[in-house]
Amino acid sequence: MVKRRVLGSGETQLETWVSYILITGVVMSIALEAAGLILFYGAHHSLAISHHGGAFIRGRDFFSFFSRVLLETTKGATGLRLMVLGICLLILTPYIRAIMSVIYFASRKNIKYALITLFVLAVLTMSLMIH
Amino acid sequence: MDMFSLFLISIPVGFIGSLTGLGGASILIPLMVFFGIPVKEAIASAMVSVVATSSGSASAYVRERLANVRIAMYLEMFTCVGAIIGATITTWIAPIYLYFFFAAFLMTSFLKPAGGRRREGRAGGPSKAERLSKWLQLEGSYFDEATMETVDYRADRPILGGAGMMVAGIAAGMLGIGAGAFKVTVQENVLKLPPKVASTTSNFIIGMTALAGASVYLFSGLMNITLMAPMAMGTTLGAVAGGRVLNRLTGTTLRVLFFAVVIALIVQMLHKGIASW
Repeated sequence: MVKRRVLGSGETQLETWVSYILITGVVMSIALEAAGLILFYGAHHSLAISHHGGAFIRGRDFFSFFSRVLLETTKGATGLRLMVLGICLLILTPYIRAIMSVIYFASRKNIKYALITLFVLAVLTMSLMIH
Repeated sequence: MDMFSLFLISIPVGFIGSLTGLGGASILIPLMVFFGIPVKEAIASAMVSVVATSSGSASAYVRERLANVRIAMYLEMFTCVGAIIGATITTWIAPIYLYFFFAAFLMTSFLKPAGGRRREGRAGGPSKAERLSKWLQLEGSYFDEATMETVDYRADRPILGGAGMMVAGIAAGMLGIGAGAFKVTVQENVLKLPPKVASTTSNFIIGMTALAGASVYLFSGLMNITLMAPMAMGTTLGAVAGGRVLNRLTGTTLRVLFFAVVIALIVQMLHKGIASW
């Protein structure tokens, strides 16, 4: 009988978490974007691509932008807001994966990889905040 | 072109991108430019569809223990910094250069990963690179369904591999693409990883690299939601379908498709660049 070895990097629990985070983020994001597109069409009877101000993402940093969009959407969902929320969720998906990796390696006391993943998380956080 | 037609176009683009390994954005950006979308807007908006297609397919590769998360996280240190540098360059330079950079980088898709044999350690013990790789735990194993064997591997030359991934990150951030073909070449030729591990790990890294690049574009006023939403949806659906039929197509079909698509895209970007001169 063939002895089964641990496959992948050996970080089985992290791999399972990461897999679920990625697929959940993508599915939720696509669902929001599809709902947004339908609402947008219902309100405007047109799906024309816009190159005017309202079509572009603007704000001071991603996190305050995301919380503002979330708040506005809970008050009243419009097609554009749902689409923006879907894109924000998509952007957050790899970011959450990075946070989860830091927590995982820190809890396993794997200092090397806790620092490596913390470096990636710090670079991403700074780039999402500083503009 | 409206959002619905962009969504419909994005489905076959994601499908072909998945089959050829080019990813959706490499094909969508020249297409959008063809339809009159400004090149910087197309690049910034395509970054989000790279995150979507990468995350969707990487989820399966990680679950199947093909992608190596530890090697990916080590390499992400380099690609993320590179992507931020690349995206910053794009917000500064004149759009005309981007057509030529894009065409030039597409040509790197013709680089064929040589695979090659691992360098033998010198007599008298393991080399410095081997010791570093061992210290960084850049190793793993996977079950190869083609040979029905478990394959053990360890990455070679981690510093050189990191430098190569930094270049890949700069190109990805600058051009709004995943730069997957280049990443796979670095992982196979420099790090000497098995092809299946290289392509799946590259796919996993692409999402994080794209996020780093996208973060620069987020508030540059270039990310258009009416482009991003239909593109992200269409390319993801197409990529999922592409992943399902990949194994049913012959290698020759895939290579012919790959060359036809890449050559058409290079011609389109060069034509646009020369016309804008």
